[in-house]
Amino acid sequence: MAKRVGICAVAQTTYERDKKDIRFQGMALEVLEALRKQVDVTFSRHVKGAKGVDMSISVSDDIFDARTISDNAMTDVLGAHFGCEEKVAQEGIQALYYALAAIQSGHNNMVLVMGHCKESQAQSRNMVTHMAFDPFFTRPVGIDFCAAAGLQAQAYSAKSQITDEHLAKIVVRARENASKNPCTQEIGKVSAEEVMASPMLVDPIRELHAYPVSDGAVGMILATEDTAKKICKNPVWITGVGNCMDSFFLGDRDLTSNFALKKAVQYAYKRAGITDPRSAFDVIELSDQYAYQLPMWAEGIGLCDAGKGAKWLDGGGPVKQNVNTSGGMLAGNPLILGGLVRAAEAAIQLRGEAGDRQINNAKTAIAHGVMGPAGQFHSVITLARA
Amino acid sequence: MSTATNDCFIVNGKLALPYQYFAGRAGSRFIISLRDEKKIRGLKCQKCGKVFVPPRATCETCFEDICENWVDVKNTGVVTCFTIIRYKEPHQPVDPPYILGLVKLDGADTPLAHIVKGVPLSKMKTGLKVKAVFAKKTTGGIMDIDHFQVVDDKPKFEMGYSYDELEIGMSASFTKTISETDVYLFAGISGDFNPMHMNEEFAKMTPFGTRIAHGALPQSLIAPVLGMKLPGLGTVIPEITVRFKRPTYFGDTITAIGEVVEKIEKKRWVRMELRWTNQKDELVAEGSCLAIPPMPFNK
Repeated sequence: MAKRVGICAVAQTTYERDKKDIRFQGMALEVLEALRKQVDVTFSRHVKGAKGVDMSISVSDDIFDARTISDNAMTDVLGAHFGCEEKVAQEGIQALYYALAAIQSGHNNMVLVMGHCKESQAQSRNMVTHMAFDPFFTRPVGIDFCAAAGLQAQAYSAKSQITDEHLAKIVVRARENASKNPCTQEIGKVSAEEVMASPMLVDPIRELHAYPVSDGAVGMILATEDTAKKICKNPVWITGVGNCMDSFFLGDRDLTSNFALKKAVQYAYKRAGITDPRSAFDVIELSDQYAYQLPMWAEGIGLCDAGKGAKWLDGGGPVKQNVNTSGGMLAGNPLILGGLVRAAEAAIQLRGEAGDRQINNAKTAIAHGVMGPAGQFHSVITLARA
Repeated sequence: MSTATNDCFIVNGKLALPYQYFAGRAGSRFIISLRDEKKIRGLKCQKCGKVFVPPRATCETCFEDICENWVDVKNTGVVTCFTIIRYKEPHQPVDPPYILGLVKLDGADTPLAHIVKGVPLSKMKTGLKVKAVFAKKTTGGIMDIDHFQVVDDKPKFEMGYSYDELEIGMSASFTKTISETDVYLFAGISGDFNPMHMNEEFAKMTPFGTRIAHGALPQSLIAPVLGMKLPGLGTVIPEITVRFKRPTYFGDTITAIGEVVEKIEKKRWVRMELRWTNQKDELVAEGSCLAIPPMPFNK
């Protein structure tokens, strides 16, 4: 890649089912204050000669926030008055791509990324994702992301021989890992028997296979290499990025092919000079909204061969390759923040600040985000520490 | 985190905005065909040959303008993928649990997401054949197809015994009382208005002293045995021989019996012995036939 871009600060709130005593601006402020404790930066971009954050990117969704132009309620918190303010309504990890582009282009020196979402505000998350579909052919049939995941889970499980036992183990491990993550303390541990006894939600997905509804916020400060080295003692460098959007209609896609994810990593690996993804990463964070997605995305990013997800699970792949030591999305992040939280978690690991869940001597990482029904859009970012 | 939650006031809101969407030119044609003709149409890319349902004006891989290349697709198709929706949401068109499927219509290449009915949830699987059931009332959209109904692709008829199922000694029969009406109708069918069957005064002069039925009439009673019972539906009879032993008088009750006596392995045919008796157990006729049993189900 051209000029290096460093992640200089990372902060997040806890993720809880209903943060009813704090507005989304409040969640973001909590993150911002934590970021400012890590790096001493200013937001006085309108003052001539001032140095500091010169672009703010908010990650939010109009329907989750139940207001249009959801970012304009955030200007204060973003410190974006009289300056460059942008919004990403895609998967939050896209904001890092955006920040990277802004910095590498030479337009900006330091960028604040701030994502927030209160899934608890809506009557149901499914009603929000239902609105992502076209009003003519798909919405009338009643589809939402949960229904689309059911279709994909059925097709993928059949192709890769994923069993109910596999899925139960994934959930048990995710929640075990979540217990070591201070941001996901609300989610309790479960046994495989409890998972397998939980009711079917959308076959073959059981209720406990689905990521919980949660509220939270996450933020980062990114800067050019020169600035990063000045303001931060241990910046994490972005080494590669890639994304890919698959066809809109579910029927136009091969739901088991991982087409978009394979393309996304192909771009990212090329930029990062990665040839063997199986050995390239010390930390792997995948957006597993539903348990079946953990092996599926693992196949997609090349941790195992296509169609060999079951073998990979049976061989202890998730533990050996440090996949989702944070608990992953199954431990709870809002939908639009999944990938951004994954990147935050990866950066925290590379900075050596992961506490009880710290992976020894972690130097390289990949973080993955997914948006759209049944993995329509994938975005990955590869990271490394100095 | 949770400080003074008692002081937190929750304001109830609702995001609701009635809307009108133009379905686009291709979408409009599709919806109008569905509404007015109950016809499902797709758009075909001339370059790659792919037929899109729902329709698009442009092929996403070839970038060809395909908006005029309408083709009819069938109302039948195959479920390529499915799930069972068990959670309830206001946007769902039917109450859960129900089957959501991707249906690849015959003649289309892109499966369509829709509701599937007509099979127990536990028996649902990919590959089932379905047929569009149109809504009684149009709503001007994809729900003019109310759902896709699983088509039972088992044969509608219970076919007879195959060669391998037939055993020597198996028998079946059919019994019927021969009335004056039967004889008169048979005269009409055969054209045989011989007065020995029609005219009592003439018949008194014959050796039988009264009217008798046509010999072929009781003989024909073996047809329901062979064709509908043993071997049963699907059987072909290439040869039948009969020797008449006794007349059939009006009012006689005739039983026709067929019995498997030989399996001809080389041809996979069977030989059957045939007997006709009356209500006094007197032999009316006897004979034999060759039967070609039904072939295995033609799916």
